[in-house]
Amino acid sequence: MAKQQIRLKVNGETYEILVEPYITLLEALREELRLTGTKKGCDLGDCGTCTVLLEGKAVNSCLVLAIDARDKEVTTVEGLAQGGKMHPLQEAFIEHGAIQCGYCTPGMLLSAKALLDMNEHPSEEEVRAAIAGNLCRCTGYVRIVEAILAAAESLARRGNG
Amino acid sequence: MEGAVIGQSVPRLDSPAKAIGKADFTADLRFQGMLQAKILGSKHAHARISHIDTTLAERLPGVQAVITAKDAPAVRYGVYLKDEVLLAREKVCYLEEPVAAVAAVDEDCASEALALIRVEYEPLPAVFDPLEAMQPDAALIHQDSSSYKAVFPSVRYGNVCMYTRIEHGNVEEGLAAADLIVEDTFCTQPVHQCYLEPHAVVALFDASGKLTVWSSTQQVFVSQATLAEVLQIPMTKVRVINTYLGGGFGGKLNPWLEGIAALLARKSARPVKLVFNRLEEFMATQPRAPFIIELKTGVKRDGRIVVRVAKIIGDAGAYADHALGETAQAAVRVQGPYKIPHMRAEGFCVYTNKVNFGCYRGYGVPQAVFAAESQMDIIAERLGLDPLAFRAINLAEDGDLLPSGERLRCVSIKETMQTAAERADWMEKRVNKVAGRGIGIGNAYTNTGMLASSVFLRSNEDGTFQIFSGVVDIGTGANTILCQIAAEELGVPLEDVSIVSGDTDMAPYDLGSIATRVTYDTGNAVRLAAMDVKRQLFEIAAKRLEANIEDLEIGHRHIYVKGSPDKGVTVAEICQHGLYVEGGPIVGRGKFLGVPSFKTQPGEGYPLDPYPSFIFGTHIAEVEVDKDTGQVKVLRIVAVHDLGRAINPLAAMAQIEGGIGQGLGYVLTERMIFNEEGRVLNPTLLDYKVPTALDMPQMEVVILEYPDELAPFGAKGIGELPQICAPAAVANAVADAIGVRIRELPLTAEKILEALRQDSV
Ligand code: FES
Ligand code: FES
Repeated sequence: MAKQQIRLKVNGETYEILVEPYITLLEALREELRLTGTKKGCDLGDCGTCTVLLEGKAVNSCLVLAIDARDKEVTTVEGLAQGGKMHPLQEAFIEHGAIQCGYCTPGMLLSAKALLDMNEHPSEEEVRAAIAGNLCRCTGYVRIVEAILAAAESLARRGNG
Repeated sequence: MEGAVIGQSVPRLDSPAKAIGKADFTADLRFQGMLQAKILGSKHAHARISHIDTTLAERLPGVQAVITAKDAPAVRYGVYLKDEVLLAREKVCYLEEPVAAVAAVDEDCASEALALIRVEYEPLPAVFDPLEAMQPDAALIHQDSSSYKAVFPSVRYGNVCMYTRIEHGNVEEGLAAADLIVEDTFCTQPVHQCYLEPHAVVALFDASGKLTVWSSTQQVFVSQATLAEVLQIPMTKVRVINTYLGGGFGGKLNPWLEGIAALLARKSARPVKLVFNRLEEFMATQPRAPFIIELKTGVKRDGRIVVRVAKIIGDAGAYADHALGETAQAAVRVQGPYKIPHMRAEGFCVYTNKVNFGCYRGYGVPQAVFAAESQMDIIAERLGLDPLAFRAINLAEDGDLLPSGERLRCVSIKETMQTAAERADWMEKRVNKVAGRGIGIGNAYTNTGMLASSVFLRSNEDGTFQIFSGVVDIGTGANTILCQIAAEELGVPLEDVSIVSGDTDMAPYDLGSIATRVTYDTGNAVRLAAMDVKRQLFEIAAKRLEANIEDLEIGHRHIYVKGSPDKGVTVAEICQHGLYVEGGPIVGRGKFLGVPSFKTQPGEGYPLDPYPSFIFGTHIAEVEVDKDTGQVKVLRIVAVHDLGRAINPLAAMAQIEGGIGQGLGYVLTERMIFNEEGRVLNPTLLDYKVPTALDMPQMEVVILEYPDELAPFGAKGIGELPQICAPAAVANAVADAIGVRIRELPLTAEKILEALRQDSV
């Protein structure tokens, strides 16, 4: 199959890459752009480790073809910190001990971000529902949920203040 | 300064790198000219290989190396029994057993090449059921197993790759003295560790012929030794590195993938990367062994247990691997944290034509404790006693003997049980029952401290320190905890200590990150190394300050004479003085091997050494069962653990919560379903059913601290125990809720409905 030239906008930067039409966004990010923060846990849409934001929506990047993401805005974990300053979600994950092996973390963070972008004051149930597609084998999710709720609070404070 | 760093809930040192996506896991690495590898798995569960033709694959453009058993030294390796091979030789013993492997310019090309390899098989009768495999006329899976080397006095026959019998007391007397004898058989299912990072390896030979392997392994030194053994090269020519590990839970001990990648790297003279996909993870790694557990327990009318006879049948799958050790360990741990004066335990580990089973968080103990704690409730009911009251009569105490000859020490099960009962409102909830709800208890203990650890600890000119250790931080926070131990002992702030770990070229030997051992063993080694460094610092400071060593103290980055903190010298100055004036840098050494004071009981074929210490815990679970659908909802788990001392309470609690999560999967939903060809029918994370954030109950974690004087600052570790207690507690709660006992894991909705239906006829 002939490679196609596509433009990807990732974390505010524009990349022109040549990809086979069957290459997933996950592969394009990891192999072409060397943005390996996005992890592959299953390649089947079951685990959520590959979650990125596509036009602000959380998607499993292993289920999206790179060519279908052409010209769209993609945010990966590498794009969460702004100007060398971590996103409140990242700070909260560290602070609350929500990171153990850390393999689920990038995907978790982006699912959480998609939630908080839509819903500033999520309930615990809403947080759990938002990350239900992101498996974590290490934490029992307790501290992840806590961290997301804490980040929501600190974002809200920041927004008001 | 004691208590300044220990006991502080500090964030894990590696979490910032992980939070910003800059922590490189093995699969993230890339080297110039790197090839991708794929493994060809067997199409039969049991067959003779009559011919392999790789010529077509070799000719495919882009293919750089194709290997079969011919390319590997004829070496069999294994932890207890040397029965394993890197690539199948002459025969295959399970479906998807590696037969050949390819390294090519990319994964697609490698996959294409696999399809071009022609393997001719002569199928042999396969056996999947361990009970069938134990029959004298069963098909033999390893024809010449008697020729295999065992690293312990091994009893083997037929498909039984280990038979062990250990006992204490006099079982016949015990049985005669019992007023009631209860017999049950329990079965547990194969489950996969489901760490989220699939196995990954990168192998690279440099110009001098030295092999460097980046691997998702929990044990870099074991990998190094095994690679040297299977490749027949000296250990100086092998370096194993782990940068970050995406979870292991016992599933990343065995180094066979590394060997295959290394052979491909050697043959192609290029770096080779081999990453498993999820399907391969389910089909060809080492999930937890399924067990059949028969228990015969005799009690007095007053509730005292007098005797237990246990028989554990462990399914090894195609190679003995860790299932052998697990079976032996289960045979002992099935005693539970109770006094049992007469006990005999037999373990049979049996080959079948399934994937070789390994270990998963608990090493045989979750299986044993599910059975033992279920039977405790069964007996309590027969005696008309409350499950907690019955346990209370029998709780173990310091000095109680296990059939392996181990004597329990630092026993705190009474305290964990009492605390759990109070926190969970046990009495109240037992008395005022709510229809459809149940409450259950899981008491357990397991071992900690095993085999050797050593570390170096070095000072830098600016007064900071660096630990060099062979452990891998697999996500538990081990590195942070080790830095906390060193900082505490040295009397310096935590930020003045860093650690280099997971690299065989950088650190002295450590068995690795398994079996709830890092805090105990490596922690002790770190503490000893820190004492060594501190002694050297004080020697230099004593001269500089013209004081006696005994009068010196360290604090606020200064060393000073007690009582006059303003007259000291800085730690940095002492470090520099050592480096430039006293003949060289300050380097401390620490090594630790927890040697217990007792000997293994004479028995037959018992492969394990006694352990120096034990950890204790109690979980109480509350569940709600929907009698129409069979669905179980776990409402709450109270988890009480004595871990000696929590070096980092935040990390300890988080590890306990994770263990509970895994335990819930084990008891309720997870199972690998094998068909009659040995194929896993649910090899995806969706069909296999790992718990999600929505499946988690309310968790109340309580840490008790009864320090063990042999442990570093009293801290014994926590790793495996949460996953051992939780399933037992939930199983008992479900039985309490539905009034019927299911003796086979997992407790799926179907099984619960079926049990309810049968109960009502
Ligand atoms: S890798 Fe995409 S969902 Fe698992
Ligand atoms: S932290 Fe390991 S999978 Fe979530």
